[in-house]
Amino acid sequence: MTYWKTIARSCRGIAHEQQGLPCQDAADCRVLPNGVVVGAVADGAGSARLSDVGAQRSVDLVLQGLSLIVQEFEQRHPGKVFPVLSESVARQVFTQLHHCLMAELAMIAQAHQCEVKDLACTLLAFLATPQGLAAMQIGDGFMVVRLPDDAYGLVFEPDKGEYSNETTFVTSTDAVEAMQVRVLAETPVFVCLASDGLERVALRVRDWLPYPPFFQPLEEYLSETDAAEPPPDYLEAFLASAQLNARTSDDKTLLLAQLVR
Amino acid sequence: MPVGFPEFIENPENRCPVILLLDTSASMAGASIEALNEGIQIFKQNLLEDEQASLSVDVAIITFGNQGVQCIQDFVGVHDFLPPTLQTGGMTPMGAAIDQALNLVETRKQVYRQNHVDYYRPWIFLITDGAPTDDWQAASTHVRSAEQQNKVSFFAVAVEGANLKVLRDIAPPHRPPISLHGLNFRELFVWLSASVKRVSGSKVGEAVALPAVGWGEVVS
Repeated sequence: MTYWKTIARSCRGIAHEQQGLPCQDAADCRVLPNGVVVGAVADGAGSARLSDVGAQRSVDLVLQGLSLIVQEFEQRHPGKVFPVLSESVARQVFTQLHHCLMAELAMIAQAHQCEVKDLACTLLAFLATPQGLAAMQIGDGFMVVRLPDDAYGLVFEPDKGEYSNETTFVTSTDAVEAMQVRVLAETPVFVCLASDGLERVALRVRDWLPYPPFFQPLEEYLSETDAAEPPPDYLEAFLASAQLNARTSDDKTLLLAQLVR
Repeated sequence: MPVGFPEFIENPENRCPVILLLDTSASMAGASIEALNEGIQIFKQNLLEDEQASLSVDVAIITFGNQGVQCIQDFVGVHDFLPPTLQTGGMTPMGAAIDQALNLVETRKQVYRQNHVDYYRPWIFLITDGAPTDDWQAASTHVRSAEQQNKVSFFAVAVEGANLKVLRDIAPPHRPPISLHGLNFRELFVWLSASVKRVSGSKVGEAVALPAVGWGEVVS
């Protein structure tokens, strides 16, 4: 039987602790029937007042939207598995989701009496079926996948401005234009989403190559259990570890998914 | 079997380039240049206290006055930076010095790019007590255009005696010159090191709020 093991955890960065800021990362995934999984990671902008709220709501809404699309398809086509989307259809779907997200964030901003940009966050999301994967990214953070019998691959080159402290947020005026969308016609056996706090320890920035010794233990960790959600202790301990905090003061998020056939 | 933690790749640090653009003309002689020299020492000490900043910040110094425009220190890491003892003399070729600083910034960016090193927006920090004795109008246009294109952040500090009107025309409109209280270079450089520490430790995408300026008044 084909199924997914998934886990997502965020951990507050030490700089955020020192400044009394909350963890502004959010991450979640949902396993749906018929071997479909959806996941999202959002990283709230450090300078935006309520970006933790924006990040959490963005993750929730995107997962809700993607789940709904899959459910509606299955209701209309009973017994059929959700197909691999073309890249242009995937772009339409993610653009529509972004549109809904903006409407939602506008309402939240009104309720909190703040501006929409106070909810600024980056966003990474994917929908994987037994046949393939559709993914999107606005801003930084990264998504790494491994196809069966293949090496780790980065799905999107990071969206970076000229300078190290520039990126795009879902609330940026050019968010839709800057949104990257990609479809893989084969299902990865391993998917890893991370906020940018982990970028510099997991990727070789010279050519954006994933560093296998970073990802292999994470894959092994998933392989060690049969549970649909592995025991979180290992992942939580890693994200809070002194080794990692010595390398990044930012919030840290990992979302892991492994396909079992 | 317990799994080991993920291992980390070593990447080069993001760089944070800062050019000190310093007036060493004759009028800076005496207490001014002594206080400035001391300030630069404090700048280095403060950066060394912050591990991230000491690894990220690259310092260069261009002087104008004594022996014309001189790049007395090309970009160097904080650990290798030897604070100079500046000597005074001559005129105030500020315009040429500004242009050289703008060029040095772009050359440095090329070096970073060639080495696949990420960098923060460079800072040019001008300190003067006088008025330019060369063509500064062109340099002013270059500063404003560079600011507008996000190429650099330009700060102008006026020491007593500086021509504030000209400095206002050189500095970008959204960042007017700051008039130093007396010879409080110590506070100025403490502020500068605190500011670049914030930049060098900043998160991707973060707009950095700079510390309050306690060492001078914004010239309006």
